Amino acid sequence: MKQILRLIKKDYILFWGDKLVVSLTFIIPIILIAIWGAIFGNIDSGVAGLYLAFVNNSSSPVTSKIERVLDTTKAFILIKKYTDEKGNRVLFDTNTVKDFVRKGKSSAALVIPADAYTDTSLGIKLRFYYDPKNGMEMQMIQGMLQRTIMSQIPGIFMQSLQRQAMRTLGVDSGKAFNSEIALTVSKYYKIDPKLVLGSYPIDSNLPPEAEKNRNIFGNILQLEQIQLVGADISNPWATRSVGGWAIMFLMFTLTASSSSLFEEKKSGVVLRILVSPISRVHILWSKYLYNISLGFIQLTVLFVAGSLMYRIDIFSNFVNLLLVILAAASACTAFGMLLSAFSKTAAQANGWGTFLILAMSSIGGAWFPTSFMPGYIQTISKFTIVYWSMDGFLQVLWRQAGIESILPTLGILFGVAIVISSISVLQFKKGEVF
Amino acid sequence: MIQIKGVTKKFPEVTALDNITLKVQERQFFGLLGPNGAGKTTLINLIVGYLNPDQGEILIGSEKVTRDSLETRKLIGLVPQSLALYDDISAETNLEIFGSFFGIEKKLLRERIDALLNSVQLYDRRKHRVKSFSGGMKRRLNLIASLLHDPPLLLCDEPTVGIDPQSRNAIFDYLLMLNAQGKTIVYTTHYMEEAERLCNRIAIIDTGKIIADGSVEELLGELSFEECISISKNQTTTSKIDLLKKFGKVLEEQDHYELTPAGEFRLSSFFGLLEQNGISDKFIYIHKPSLETLFLHKTGRRLRD
Repeated sequence: MKQILRLIKKDYILFWGDKLVVSLTFIIPIILIAIWGAIFGNIDSGVAGLYLAFVNNSSSPVTSKIERVLDTTKAFILIKKYTDEKGNRVLFDTNTVKDFVRKGKSSAALVIPADAYTDTSLGIKLRFYYDPKNGMEMQMIQGMLQRTIMSQIPGIFMQSLQRQAMRTLGVDSGKAFNSEIALTVSKYYKIDPKLVLGSYPIDSNLPPEAEKNRNIFGNILQLEQIQLVGADISNPWATRSVGGWAIMFLMFTLTASSSSLFEEKKSGVVLRILVSPISRVHILWSKYLYNISLGFIQLTVLFVAGSLMYRIDIFSNFVNLLLVILAAASACTAFGMLLSAFSKTAAQANGWGTFLILAMSSIGGAWFPTSFMPGYIQTISKFTIVYWSMDGFLQVLWRQAGIESILPTLGILFGVAIVISSISVLQFKKGEVF
Repeated sequence: MIQIKGVTKKFPEVTALDNITLKVQERQFFGLLGPNGAGKTTLINLIVGYLNPDQGEILIGSEKVTRDSLETRKLIGLVPQSLALYDDISAETNLEIFGSFFGIEKKLLRERIDALLNSVQLYDRRKHRVKSFSGGMKRRLNLIASLLHDPPLLLCDEPTVGIDPQSRNAIFDYLLMLNAQGKTIVYTTHYMEEAERLCNRIAIIDTGKIIADGSVEELLGELSFEECISISKNQTTTSKIDLLKKFGKVLEEQDHYELTPAGEFRLSSFFGLLEQNGISDKFIYIHKPSLETLFLHKTGRRLRD
């Protein structure tokens, strides 16, 4: 055991002696976690700040209301003016706003035409011009636009229905029909019949008792949202992000560390060590234990950094977190050693390592939740160390899971470590490293 | 000190050592001379227990060497052919790491490190990273890293590769001093000058076989002639070189021909033939045979071919 400890001490001295490796192990992942967290930090509080070029050619109070709503919602930033050739700020018209999109200065423009909503309209006409260069952004803009308009001025829908009834049945019968409908809706949904009939102007301020019933559709579909898990987590996306980046960098670190055996062999150091009273078994054990301990330290440091940057609560379930970290470090060490055992050079091990780590990180849920992925990829992801490590981290950090809940995950990670390590040791005996 | 008994080592594509038998006595400075690929490093790797032989056995003292036996390793110091050092840490830390593997008590190790660094003039650079060292300094550090546990047997596998003559001489003097202090040294090289200068016994190895073994005098005594002849290369000698082939083996070098006499060679006959053919004796240089001559005589090739 003393010889193994001496070898581990040697590896730590070498690790600390190479400041680039130290920074790649700790500082670079922390920077990336910070960047990733900053990018996605507000994803849970909704979409905000989508740029939308905007022209309102209508004088209708309804379209004024739409403009006011879009102006005040945080989802959009409306661009209403452009700078002409003389440097003057000029309001858009339909042609200039289309040019603006064509030139790529905005991804989309909303034009409200002059006849958008008249006394006889059955609905609102809007024109949406867009550049499909970014499909995801376009879907977000369209979705948010529809949602904002429908949620803020639902009365338009009621007016439209009543106008349709009068147009079909005639004015008198239509009024009677609408009145009957309004009374029925009023009776069962307990709202003011005037609201159903649209007697309040769409853009007016309603009395408080009517305001709460303004969105009739909201009353029809009463979807109550109650968060059961992670309600007290201040930065849920960062919680996932820290775990994902940490496990990916852990694998890079341990693959590089394992492949250092090749460098030591090439320089003759392995031979020098083996001429001392140290056996190959000592070297292998020391590499395993060193890598596991380094991985444990790295993950712990990254989680502590995540906790400081994003207020992730790692301490209320700290012991279980450490258990998952140990299991993940063991499995990742086994992966790194497997690569070294089956490779003939350090370059081979690192090349395969990069490919496999990026593949496992992407499909294992290190970057995005696996639920975003197609079913067959979700199935494949379960065969990766990243998936089970992420599962463990999320269990202890999101669900505050106890030891009995995380035992299956720990079992899988330690089991993977044992199986892969056994294969590696057999391969090391007949391989190129020693 | 070392007994090598009928050792054979085969690799998939080559038989590196073929039934080698050798003895190295205590306090001997033993040279293993041979061209690249002759099997010198393989033999060293077997002596230290890095490889197991396919046949035969090696004893150090009375202990049999195997890949798994750790006891014999305490008796051996190995100076590998490559610079087996960690570049990114200091010379001193390198020595502390390698010394720790022998379980040397801390204070004693400290004393030995200081003494060894002083002995090769590296003490002032002990805190510097190895990567800042010159080739000669690295070679000296590579050498003393093998002496931390004060082994009675030192194996040097071409320890002066790629360094300047001054550093090489410093290492030679250091090794001769160690040998004078009682260490047994096995020294592999493909430079016959090094072997002749350092070793009191030499084995010549080629294609995995020992082709000669003894002191320099004993080895040269195996030759049937007492002088070798160099002939300057010019128009006259080149046109008539075939005439000289009846006196022995003629090898063409870059600027001269080397005649290794054979059979009943007489200098008077040789010069008589030169005179008859108008070859001036100013183109002829007669010198004593060397180990190079012996190697050429035994294999038909030069040591550095």
